[in-house]
Amino acid sequence: MTQEISLLMDGELESREAGRAIRTCCGDEELKRTWQAYHLIGEALRGEEPRPDASTRRIMDAIAKEPTVLAPRWRLPARAGRVAFAAAASVATVAVVGWIGVQDRGTPGGPVVAKAPAAAPAAQPVVASRVVPLHNVNEYVVVHRQLPNADFYQSVSAQAAGGR
Amino acid sequence: MSRLSAAAALAALLAAHPVAADPGIDPLTWLQRAADSARQATYAGTIMHMQGERSATSRITHVFLAGSEIERIESLDGPRREIVRRDDQLQCYFPDAKTIRYDRRVSARFFPSIVAGPVEAIAQNYKVALGNIERVLGQDCQWIHLDPKDALRYAQRLCAEVGSGLLLRAKTLGPKNEVLELYAFTDLRMGRDVPRGEVKSAFVAQSKGWRREGESAAGKPAPGASGWAVEAPPSGFRLVSEMQRHLPKRSQPVTQLVLSDGLATMSVFVEPIAGAQRSAEVTSADGALSVYRMPMGEHLVTVLGEVPPEAAQQVGRSVARRSGAETAAAAR
Repeated sequence: MTQEISLLMDGELESREAGRAIRTCCGDEELKRTWQAYHLIGEALRGEEPRPDASTRRIMDAIAKEPTVLAPRWRLPARAGRVAFAAAASVATVAVVGWIGVQDRGTPGGPVVAKAPAAAPAAQPVVASRVVPLHNVNEYVVVHRQLPNADFYQSVSAQAAGGR
Repeated sequence: MSRLSAAAALAALLAAHPVAADPGIDPLTWLQRAADSARQATYAGTIMHMQGERSATSRITHVFLAGSEIERIESLDGPRREIVRRDDQLQCYFPDAKTIRYDRRVSARFFPSIVAGPVEAIAQNYKVALGNIERVLGQDCQWIHLDPKDALRYAQRLCAEVGSGLLLRAKTLGPKNEVLELYAFTDLRMGRDVPRGEVKSAFVAQSKGWRREGESAAGKPAPGASGWAVEAPPSGFRLVSEMQRHLPKRSQPVTQLVLSDGLATMSVFVEPIAGAQRSAEVTSADGALSVYRMPMGEHLVTVLGEVPPEAAQQVGRSVARRSGAETAAAAR
Protein backbone atom coordinates (compact mmCIF):
# COMPACT_ATOMS: atom_id res chain seq x y z
CA MET A 1 0.00 0.00 0.00
CA THR A 2 2.89 2.37 0.81
CA GLN A 3 4.19 1.72 -2.68
CA GLU A 4 0.78 2.61 -4.06
CA ILE A 5 0.78 5.91 -2.20
CA SER A 6 4.17 6.68 -3.66
CA LEU A 7 2.91 5.90 -7.14
CA LEU A 8 -0.19 7.96 -6.46
CA MET A 9 1.93 10.97 -5.59
CA ASP A 10 3.87 10.55 -8.78
CA GLY A 11 0.65 10.36 -10.71
CA GLU A 12 1.55 6.90 -11.93
CA LEU A 13 -1.64 5.10 -11.00
CA GLU A 14 -4.51 4.66 -13.37
CA SER A 15 -7.57 6.48 -12.11
CA ARG A 16 -9.31 3.36 -10.83
CA GLU A 17 -6.26 2.20 -8.88
CA ALA A 18 -5.74 5.73 -7.65
CA GLY A 19 -9.30 5.86 -6.39
CA ARG A 20 -8.70 2.69 -4.41
CA ALA A 21 -5.43 4.04 -3.06
CA ILE A 22 -7.12 7.25 -1.95
CA ARG A 23 -9.94 5.39 -0.27
CA THR A 24 -7.48 3.26 1.63
CA CYS A 25 -5.19 6.17 2.33
CA CYS A 26 -7.91 8.36 3.74
CA GLY A 27 -9.45 5.65 5.85
CA ASP A 28 -6.33 4.45 7.61
CA GLU A 29 -4.47 6.63 10.10
CA GLU A 30 -1.10 5.06 9.49
CA LEU A 31 -1.35 5.31 5.72
CA LYS A 32 -2.53 8.87 6.09
CA ARG A 33 0.65 9.58 8.05
CA THR A 34 2.65 7.93 5.28
CA TRP A 35 0.92 10.16 2.76
CA GLN A 36 1.76 13.25 4.82
CA ALA A 37 5.28 12.08 5.44
CA TYR A 38 5.85 11.73 1.73
CA HIS A 39 4.76 15.30 1.28
CA LEU A 40 7.09 16.44 4.02
CA ILE A 41 9.90 14.61 2.27
CA GLY A 42 8.88 16.30 -0.95
CA GLU A 43 8.95 19.69 0.70
CA ALA A 44 12.33 19.01 2.24
CA LEU A 45 13.71 18.15 -1.16
CA ARG A 46 12.24 21.22 -2.80
CA GLY A 47 14.55 23.97 -3.90
CA GLU A 48 17.14 21.52 -5.16
CA GLU A 49 17.74 20.64 -8.76
CA PRO A 50 15.01 18.37 -10.12
CA ARG A 51 16.19 14.86 -9.37
CA PRO A 52 16.47 12.65 -12.43
CA ASP A 53 14.13 10.12 -10.86
CA ALA A 54 11.88 7.75 -12.71
CA SER A 55 8.98 10.18 -12.72
CA THR A 56 10.96 13.09 -14.16
CA ARG A 57 12.63 10.88 -16.72
CA ARG A 58 9.33 9.40 -17.72
CA ILE A 59 7.84 12.83 -18.25
CA MET A 60 10.81 14.15 -20.17
CA ASP A 61 10.87 11.02 -22.31
CA ALA A 62 7.19 11.42 -22.96
CA ILE A 63 7.72 15.00 -24.03
CA ALA A 64 10.48 13.96 -26.39
CA LYS A 65 8.26 11.31 -27.93
CA GLU A 66 4.91 13.01 -27.90
CA PRO A 67 3.81 15.32 -30.61
CA THR A 68 2.58 18.36 -28.69
CA VAL A 69 -0.58 18.58 -30.64
CA LEU A 70 -4.26 18.25 -30.23
CA ALA A 71 -5.91 16.24 -32.91
CA PRO A 72 -9.35 16.62 -34.39
CA ARG A 73 -11.47 14.02 -32.64
CA TRP A 74 -13.18 12.87 -35.78
CA ARG A 75 -9.92 11.79 -37.39
CA LEU A 76 -8.09 10.23 -34.50
CA PRO A 77 -8.73 7.85 -31.64
CA ALA A 78 -9.71 9.79 -28.52
CA ARG A 79 -6.60 8.45 -26.84
CA ALA A 80 -4.33 10.49 -29.10
CA GLY A 81 -5.94 13.72 -28.02
CA ARG A 82 -5.79 12.68 -24.41
CA VAL A 83 -2.09 11.91 -24.46
CA ALA A 84 -1.22 15.09 -26.24
CA PHE A 85 -3.20 17.16 -23.82
CA ALA A 86 -1.66 15.39 -20.86
CA ALA A 87 1.62 16.97 -21.89
CA ALA A 88 -0.08 20.35 -22.09
CA ALA A 89 -1.43 20.38 -18.57
CA SER A 90 0.94 18.12 -16.71
CA VAL A 91 1.25 18.61 -12.98
CA ALA A 92 5.01 18.45 -13.30
CA THR A 93 6.40 21.95 -13.66
CA VAL A 94 9.50 20.64 -15.33
CA ALA A 95 7.29 19.02 -17.93
CA VAL A 96 5.29 22.17 -18.48
CA VAL A 97 8.33 24.35 -18.86
CA GLY A 98 9.79 21.80 -21.23
CA TRP A 99 6.58 21.74 -23.19
CA ILE A 100 6.48 25.49 -23.52
CA GLY A 101 10.07 25.39 -24.71
CA VAL A 102 9.20 22.85 -27.36
CA GLN A 103 6.26 24.96 -28.42
CA ASP A 104 8.41 28.03 -28.81
CA ARG A 105 10.83 26.25 -31.07
CA GLY A 106 8.03 24.60 -32.97
CA THR A 107 6.85 25.27 -36.46
CA PRO A 108 5.15 28.64 -36.91
CA GLY A 109 1.74 27.09 -37.33
CA GLY A 110 0.07 24.83 -39.82
CA PRO A 111 0.10 21.05 -39.86
CA VAL A 112 2.99 19.27 -38.23
CA VAL A 113 4.11 15.70 -38.58
CA ALA A 114 4.47 13.67 -35.43
CA LYS A 115 7.95 12.21 -35.25
CA ALA A 116 7.49 9.56 -32.60
CA PRO A 117 10.21 6.93 -32.38
CA ALA A 118 8.96 3.53 -33.46
CA ALA A 119 9.72 2.10 -30.02
CA ALA A 120 7.69 4.73 -28.18
CA PRO A 121 4.91 3.04 -26.23
CA ALA A 122 2.63 5.99 -26.85
CA ALA A 123 3.24 6.05 -30.60
CA GLN A 124 -0.41 6.25 -31.51
CA PRO A 125 -1.30 6.22 -35.16
CA VAL A 126 -1.17 9.99 -35.39
CA VAL A 127 -2.24 11.07 -38.84
CA ALA A 128 0.11 13.65 -40.27
CA SER A 129 -2.56 15.76 -41.87
CA ARG A 130 -5.16 17.72 -39.91
CA VAL A 131 -2.98 17.71 -36.82
CA VAL A 132 -2.85 21.15 -35.36
CA PRO A 133 -0.42 22.49 -32.77
CA LEU A 134 -2.26 24.00 -29.87
CA HIS A 135 -0.29 26.94 -28.58
CA ASN A 136 -0.44 28.26 -25.07
CA VAL A 137 -3.51 26.39 -23.90
CA ASN A 138 -1.76 25.94 -20.55
CA GLU A 139 -2.16 29.58 -19.69
CA TYR A 140 -5.84 29.27 -20.36
CA VAL A 141 -6.16 26.27 -18.05
CA VAL A 142 -4.38 28.27 -15.38
CA VAL A 143 -6.58 31.32 -15.81
CA HIS A 144 -9.70 29.15 -15.88
CA ARG A 145 -8.84 27.20 -12.74
CA GLN A 146 -7.10 29.91 -10.69
CA LEU A 147 -5.59 27.29 -8.41
CA PRO A 148 -1.97 27.15 -7.23
CA ASN A 149 -1.29 23.98 -9.17
CA ALA A 150 2.18 23.17 -10.35
CA ASP A 151 1.59 24.94 -13.65
CA PHE A 152 -0.07 27.91 -12.04
CA TYR A 153 1.41 31.01 -13.58
CA GLN A 154 4.52 29.06 -14.48
CA SER A 155 5.04 31.79 -17.04
CA VAL A 156 5.74 34.14 -14.17
CA SER A 157 8.66 32.00 -13.08
CA ALA A 158 9.79 31.62 -16.68
CA GLN A 159 9.75 35.38 -17.16
CA ALA A 160 11.66 36.04 -13.98
CA ALA A 161 14.21 33.38 -14.83
CA GLY A 162 14.67 34.87 -18.29
CA GLY A 163 15.18 38.33 -16.82
CA ARG A 164 17.99 37.29 -14.53
CA MET B 1 -52.03 0.55 19.38
CA SER B 2 -52.58 4.25 18.78
CA ARG B 3 -48.84 4.74 18.57
CA LEU B 4 -48.69 2.05 15.91
CA SER B 5 -51.40 3.67 13.82
CA ALA B 6 -49.68 7.02 14.14
CA ALA B 7 -46.51 5.43 12.83
CA ALA B 8 -48.47 3.90 9.97
CA ALA B 9 -50.00 7.28 9.16
CA LEU B 10 -46.55 8.86 9.19
CA ALA B 11 -45.21 6.16 6.91
CA ALA B 12 -48.11 6.70 4.51
CA LEU B 13 -47.44 10.45 4.57
CA LEU B 14 -43.76 9.95 3.82
CA ALA B 15 -44.57 7.55 1.01
CA ALA B 16 -46.92 10.08 -0.54
CA HIS B 17 -44.36 12.91 -0.20
CA PRO B 18 -40.93 11.38 -0.57
CA VAL B 19 -39.30 14.82 -0.69
CA ALA B 20 -40.80 16.57 2.30
CA ALA B 21 -39.75 19.88 3.80
CA ASP B 22 -37.60 18.05 6.35
CA PRO B 23 -34.03 19.28 5.74
CA GLY B 24 -32.86 15.78 6.56
CA ILE B 25 -34.21 14.35 3.35
CA ASP B 26 -34.56 17.25 0.93
CA PRO B 27 -31.59 17.04 -1.47
CA LEU B 28 -31.79 20.72 -2.43
CA THR B 29 -31.49 21.71 1.21
CA TRP B 30 -28.32 19.62 1.38
CA LEU B 31 -26.96 21.40 -1.70
CA GLN B 32 -27.68 24.76 -0.12
CA ARG B 33 -25.98 23.71 3.13
CA ALA B 34 -22.91 22.65 1.12
CA ALA B 35 -22.81 26.04 -0.61
CA ASP B 36 -23.32 27.99 2.62
CA SER B 37 -20.76 26.15 4.69
CA ALA B 38 -18.05 26.32 2.00
CA ARG B 39 -18.43 30.10 2.24
CA GLN B 40 -19.24 30.75 5.87
CA ALA B 41 -17.57 27.98 7.84
CA THR B 42 -14.02 28.06 9.19
CA TYR B 43 -11.93 25.12 8.07
CA ALA B 44 -8.42 24.02 7.20
CA GLY B 45 -7.20 20.87 5.57
CA THR B 46 -5.36 19.11 2.80
CA ILE B 47 -7.12 18.76 -0.54
CA MET B 48 -6.21 16.17 -3.09
CA HIS B 49 -7.24 16.87 -6.66
CA MET B 50 -7.19 14.17 -9.30
CA GLN B 51 -7.84 15.03 -12.89
CA GLY B 52 -7.49 12.36 -15.52
CA GLU B 53 -4.40 10.44 -14.53
CA ARG B 54 -2.72 13.24 -12.63
CA SER B 55 -2.99 14.36 -9.05
CA ALA B 56 -2.07 17.43 -7.05
CA THR B 57 -2.33 18.32 -3.40
CA SER B 58 -2.85 21.67 -1.77
CA ARG B 59 -3.57 22.98 1.68
CA ILE B 60 -6.54 25.26 2.23
CA THR B 61 -7.33 27.52 5.16
CA HIS B 62 -10.67 29.30 5.08
CA VAL B 63 -12.17 31.78 7.54
CA PHE B 64 -15.24 33.97 7.40
CA LEU B 65 -14.78 37.35 9.09
CA ALA B 66 -17.16 40.31 9.10
CA GLY B 67 -19.02 39.04 6.08
CA SER B 68 -15.87 38.39 4.05
CA GLU B 69 -14.26 35.15 3.01
CA ILE B 70 -10.53 34.97 3.55
CA GLU B 71 -8.83 31.93 2.16
CA ARG B 72 -5.28 30.76 1.70
CA ILE B 73 -4.40 27.95 -0.67
CA GLU B 74 -0.86 26.68 -0.90
CA SER B 75 0.43 24.11 -3.31
CA LEU B 76 2.12 21.12 -1.72
CA ASP B 77 3.61 19.86 -4.99
CA GLY B 78 6.42 21.39 -6.98
CA PRO B 79 7.73 24.89 -6.30
CA ARG B 80 5.99 26.78 -3.50
CA ARG B 81 3.07 28.86 -4.60
CA GLU B 82 0.34 30.40 -2.56
CA ILE B 83 -2.89 32.26 -3.18
CA VAL B 84 -4.59 34.41 -0.60
CA ARG B 85 -8.13 35.34 -1.49
CA ARG B 86 -10.35 37.95 0.09
CA ASP B 87 -13.77 37.45 -1.53
CA ASP B 88 -12.95 37.78 -5.24
CA GLN B 89 -9.55 39.49 -4.87
CA LEU B 90 -6.59 37.16 -5.30
CA GLN B 91 -2.99 37.68 -4.28
CA CYS B 92 -0.75 35.02 -5.75
CA TYR B 93 2.71 34.58 -4.23
CA PHE B 94 5.55 33.10 -6.28
CA PRO B 95 8.58 33.01 -3.98
CA ASP B 96 10.87 31.48 -6.62
CA ALA B 97 10.15 34.35 -8.99
CA LYS B 98 9.87 36.88 -6.13
CA THR B 99 6.59 38.00 -7.64
CA ILE B 100 3.11 38.78 -6.36
CA ARG B 101 0.40 38.66 -8.94
CA TYR B 102 -2.95 40.30 -8.32
CA ASP B 103 -5.96 38.83 -9.93
CA ARG B 104 -9.71 38.69 -9.65
CA ARG B 105 -11.42 35.39 -9.05
CA VAL B 106 -13.68 34.76 -12.00
CA SER B 107 -14.09 31.02 -12.18
CA ALA B 108 -16.96 29.66 -10.18
CA ARG B 109 -15.78 26.12 -9.53
CA PHE B 110 -13.57 25.47 -6.52
CA PHE B 111 -13.46 22.80 -3.87
CA PRO B 112 -15.14 22.69 -1.42
CA SER B 113 -17.32 25.45 -2.94
CA ILE B 114 -18.49 23.28 -5.82
CA VAL B 115 -22.11 24.39 -5.47
CA ALA B 116 -21.88 27.88 -6.91
CA GLY B 117 -25.28 28.71 -8.34
CA PRO B 118 -28.84 28.89 -6.99
CA VAL B 119 -29.86 25.33 -6.11
CA GLU B 120 -33.22 25.70 -7.86
CA ALA B 121 -31.41 26.55 -11.09
CA ILE B 122 -29.15 23.52 -10.63
CA ALA B 123 -32.22 21.32 -10.18
CA GLN B 124 -33.49 22.39 -13.59
CA ASN B 125 -30.57 20.67 -15.31
CA TYR B 126 -29.66 17.91 -12.87
CA LYS B 127 -31.71 15.26 -11.13
CA VAL B 128 -30.77 15.73 -7.49
CA ALA B 129 -31.09 12.82 -5.06
CA LEU B 130 -29.60 11.71 -1.79
CA GLY B 131 -27.37 8.67 -1.62
CA ASN B 132 -25.96 6.80 1.34
CA ILE B 133 -24.49 8.19 4.49
CA GLU B 134 -20.90 6.98 4.73
CA ARG B 135 -18.09 7.45 7.18
CA VAL B 136 -15.47 9.76 5.65
CA LEU B 137 -12.50 11.19 7.57
CA GLY B 138 -14.13 9.86 10.71
CA GLN B 139 -17.31 11.86 10.08
CA ASP B 140 -20.74 10.91 8.83
CA CYS B 141 -21.00 12.11 5.26
CA GLN B 142 -24.16 12.38 3.15
CA TRP B 143 -23.73 11.62 -0.55
CA ILE B 144 -25.67 13.87 -2.92
CA HIS B 145 -26.17 12.55 -6.44
CA LEU B 146 -26.49 14.99 -9.33
CA ASP B 147 -27.28 13.35 -12.65
CA PRO B 148 -27.53 15.54 -15.75
CA LYS B 149 -30.78 15.74 -17.66
CA ASP B 150 -28.89 16.10 -20.96
CA ALA B 151 -25.54 14.99 -22.40
CA LEU B 152 -23.99 18.45 -22.09
CA ARG B 153 -22.74 18.14 -18.52
CA TYR B 154 -21.25 15.48 -16.28
CA ALA B 155 -22.75 13.74 -13.28
CA GLN B 156 -21.51 14.88 -9.88
CA ARG B 157 -21.27 12.99 -6.60
CA LEU B 158 -20.87 15.25 -3.59
CA CYS B 159 -20.33 14.10 -0.02
CA ALA B 160 -21.43 16.60 2.64
CA GLU B 161 -20.38 16.27 6.26
CA VAL B 162 -23.62 15.75 8.14
CA GLY B 163 -22.96 18.23 10.96
CA SER B 164 -21.83 21.24 8.93
CA GLY B 165 -22.79 20.46 5.34
CA LEU B 166 -19.20 21.05 4.19
CA LEU B 167 -18.19 18.91 1.23
CA LEU B 168 -15.53 16.33 2.04
CA ARG B 169 -15.48 14.75 -1.41
CA ALA B 170 -16.58 15.74 -4.90
CA LYS B 171 -16.47 13.41 -7.88
CA THR B 172 -17.20 14.13 -11.52
CA LEU B 173 -18.40 11.06 -13.41
CA GLY B 174 -18.25 10.37 -17.12
CA PRO B 175 -21.00 8.74 -19.17
CA LYS B 176 -19.81 5.25 -18.14
CA ASN B 177 -19.72 6.24 -14.46
CA GLU B 178 -15.94 6.50 -14.60
CA VAL B 179 -14.37 9.05 -12.26
CA LEU B 180 -13.05 11.92 -14.38
CA GLU B 181 -12.15 14.25 -11.57
CA LEU B 182 -11.97 13.93 -7.82
CA TYR B 183 -11.52 16.42 -5.02
CA ALA B 184 -11.08 15.03 -1.53
CA PHE B 185 -10.07 16.34 1.85
CA THR B 186 -7.43 14.01 3.24
CA ASP B 187 -7.48 15.79 6.59
CA LEU B 188 -9.70 18.51 7.94
CA ARG B 189 -10.02 20.74 10.99
CA MET B 190 -13.03 22.94 11.55
CA GLY B 191 -14.19 25.82 13.70
CA ARG B 192 -12.12 26.56 16.78
CA ASP B 193 -9.46 24.09 15.76
CA VAL B 194 -8.35 26.60 13.11
CA PRO B 195 -6.37 29.57 14.51
CA ARG B 196 -7.20 32.59 12.37
CA GLY B 197 -3.55 33.52 11.95
CA GLU B 198 -3.17 30.48 9.72
CA VAL B 199 -4.91 32.27 6.89
CA LYS B 200 -2.06 34.77 6.57
CA SER B 201 0.44 34.11 3.81
CA ALA B 202 3.77 32.70 4.89
CA PHE B 203 5.39 35.14 2.47
CA VAL B 204 3.97 38.45 3.70
CA ALA B 205 7.07 39.42 5.67
CA GLN B 206 9.59 38.56 2.98
CA SER B 207 7.62 39.87 0.01
CA LYS B 208 8.22 43.60 0.54
CA GLY B 209 10.57 44.04 -2.41
CA TRP B 210 8.94 41.54 -4.74
CA ARG B 211 7.78 42.37 -8.21
CA ARG B 212 4.06 43.11 -8.34
CA GLU B 213 1.94 42.62 -11.38
CA GLY B 214 -1.60 41.92 -12.39
CA GLU B 215 -4.97 43.39 -12.84
CA SER B 216 -6.64 43.71 -9.46
CA ALA B 217 -7.44 47.35 -10.15
CA ALA B 218 -9.84 46.29 -12.89
CA GLY B 219 -13.35 46.70 -11.63
CA LYS B 220 -16.14 44.35 -12.46
CA PRO B 221 -16.63 44.69 -16.19
CA ALA B 222 -20.13 45.08 -17.53
CA PRO B 223 -21.56 42.10 -19.38
CA GLY B 224 -21.24 42.68 -23.10
CA ALA B 225 -18.37 45.11 -22.70
CA SER B 226 -15.98 42.85 -24.60
CA GLY B 227 -18.13 42.84 -27.72
CA TRP B 228 -18.28 39.02 -27.69
CA ALA B 229 -21.18 36.82 -26.72
CA VAL B 230 -22.16 33.17 -26.59
CA GLU B 231 -25.39 33.06 -28.57
CA ALA B 232 -26.52 29.50 -27.84
CA PRO B 233 -25.01 28.00 -24.68
CA PRO B 234 -26.35 24.66 -23.37
CA SER B 235 -29.42 25.00 -21.18
CA GLY B 236 -28.74 26.57 -17.81
CA PHE B 237 -25.28 28.00 -18.61
CA ARG B 238 -25.24 31.70 -17.86
CA LEU B 239 -22.53 34.32 -18.20
CA VAL B 240 -21.09 34.84 -14.72
CA SER B 241 -18.00 36.85 -15.58
CA GLU B 242 -16.43 38.74 -18.43
CA MET B 243 -13.05 40.42 -18.57
CA GLN B 244 -10.02 41.38 -20.63
CA ARG B 245 -6.84 39.60 -19.60
CA HIS B 246 -3.24 40.48 -20.31
CA LEU B 247 -1.38 37.20 -20.60
CA PRO B 248 2.35 36.77 -20.91
CA LYS B 249 3.61 36.30 -24.47
CA ARG B 250 0.56 37.96 -25.94
CA SER B 251 0.81 41.53 -27.12
CA GLN B 252 -2.94 42.05 -27.20
CA PRO B 253 -5.47 41.46 -24.43
CA VAL B 254 -7.54 38.28 -24.44
CA THR B 255 -11.25 38.32 -23.73
CA GLN B 256 -12.45 35.79 -21.17
CA LEU B 257 -16.12 34.94 -20.74
CA VAL B 258 -17.04 32.54 -17.93
CA LEU B 259 -20.23 30.49 -18.09
CA SER B 260 -21.66 28.39 -15.26
CA ASP B 261 -24.68 26.18 -14.77
CA GLY B 262 -24.20 26.40 -11.01
CA LEU B 263 -21.92 23.35 -10.87
CA ALA B 264 -19.85 23.15 -14.06
CA THR B 265 -17.97 26.07 -15.61
CA MET B 266 -16.61 26.92 -19.03
CA SER B 267 -14.24 29.69 -20.02
CA VAL B 268 -14.36 31.18 -23.50
CA PHE B 269 -11.20 32.94 -24.65
CA VAL B 270 -11.13 35.14 -27.74
CA GLU B 271 -7.84 36.52 -29.01
CA PRO B 272 -6.72 38.13 -32.24
CA ILE B 273 -4.59 35.88 -34.43
CA ALA B 274 -1.75 37.26 -36.45
CA GLY B 275 -0.64 35.77 -39.72
CA ALA B 276 -1.71 32.41 -41.08
CA GLN B 277 -4.77 31.07 -39.36
CA ARG B 278 -5.14 27.54 -38.13
CA SER B 279 -6.99 25.39 -40.55
CA ALA B 280 -9.62 23.50 -38.62
CA GLU B 281 -11.50 23.24 -35.37
CA VAL B 282 -9.91 21.08 -32.69
CA THR B 283 -11.50 19.20 -29.81
CA SER B 284 -9.81 17.35 -26.99
CA ALA B 285 -10.55 16.07 -23.52
CA ASP B 286 -8.48 15.13 -20.50
CA GLY B 287 -10.25 13.91 -17.41
CA ALA B 288 -13.21 16.21 -16.90
CA LEU B 289 -11.58 19.05 -18.84
CA SER B 290 -12.57 19.56 -22.46
CA VAL B 291 -10.96 21.97 -24.88
CA TYR B 292 -12.38 23.24 -28.13
CA ARG B 293 -10.60 25.67 -30.39
CA MET B 294 -11.61 27.20 -33.68
CA PRO B 295 -10.56 30.16 -35.79
CA MET B 296 -13.19 32.79 -36.42
CA GLY B 297 -12.08 35.32 -39.00
CA GLU B 298 -9.19 37.20 -37.47
CA HIS B 299 -9.79 35.77 -34.02
CA LEU B 300 -9.13 32.49 -32.31
CA VAL B 301 -11.83 31.12 -30.01
CA THR B 302 -10.84 28.64 -27.29
CA VAL B 303 -13.40 27.07 -24.96
CA LEU B 304 -12.37 24.98 -21.99
CA GLY B 305 -14.24 23.66 -19.04
CA GLU B 306 -15.28 20.73 -16.89
CA VAL B 307 -17.94 19.65 -19.37
CA PRO B 308 -18.26 17.00 -22.10
CA PRO B 309 -16.52 17.97 -25.38
CA GLU B 310 -19.91 18.41 -27.05
CA ALA B 311 -20.81 21.23 -24.66
CA ALA B 312 -17.51 23.02 -25.32
CA GLN B 313 -18.16 22.65 -29.06
CA GLN B 314 -21.67 24.01 -28.80
CA VAL B 315 -20.44 27.06 -26.93
CA GLY B 316 -17.50 27.64 -29.26
CA ARG B 317 -19.58 27.40 -32.39
CA SER B 318 -22.09 29.91 -31.09
CA VAL B 319 -19.56 32.59 -30.17
CA ALA B 320 -20.37 35.75 -32.08
CA ARG B 321 -19.44 39.37 -32.14
CA ARG B 322 -22.20 41.58 -30.87
CA SER B 323 -23.27 44.26 -33.28
CA GLY B 324 -22.22 47.82 -32.49
CA ALA B 325 -25.72 48.79 -31.39
CA GLU B 326 -26.01 45.85 -29.03
CA THR B 327 -22.58 46.50 -27.57
CA ALA B 328 -23.42 50.13 -26.98
CA ALA B 329 -26.70 49.15 -25.37
CA ALA B 330 -24.97 46.65 -23.08
CA ALA B 331 -22.35 49.19 -22.08
CA ARG B 332 -24.92 51.78 -21.11
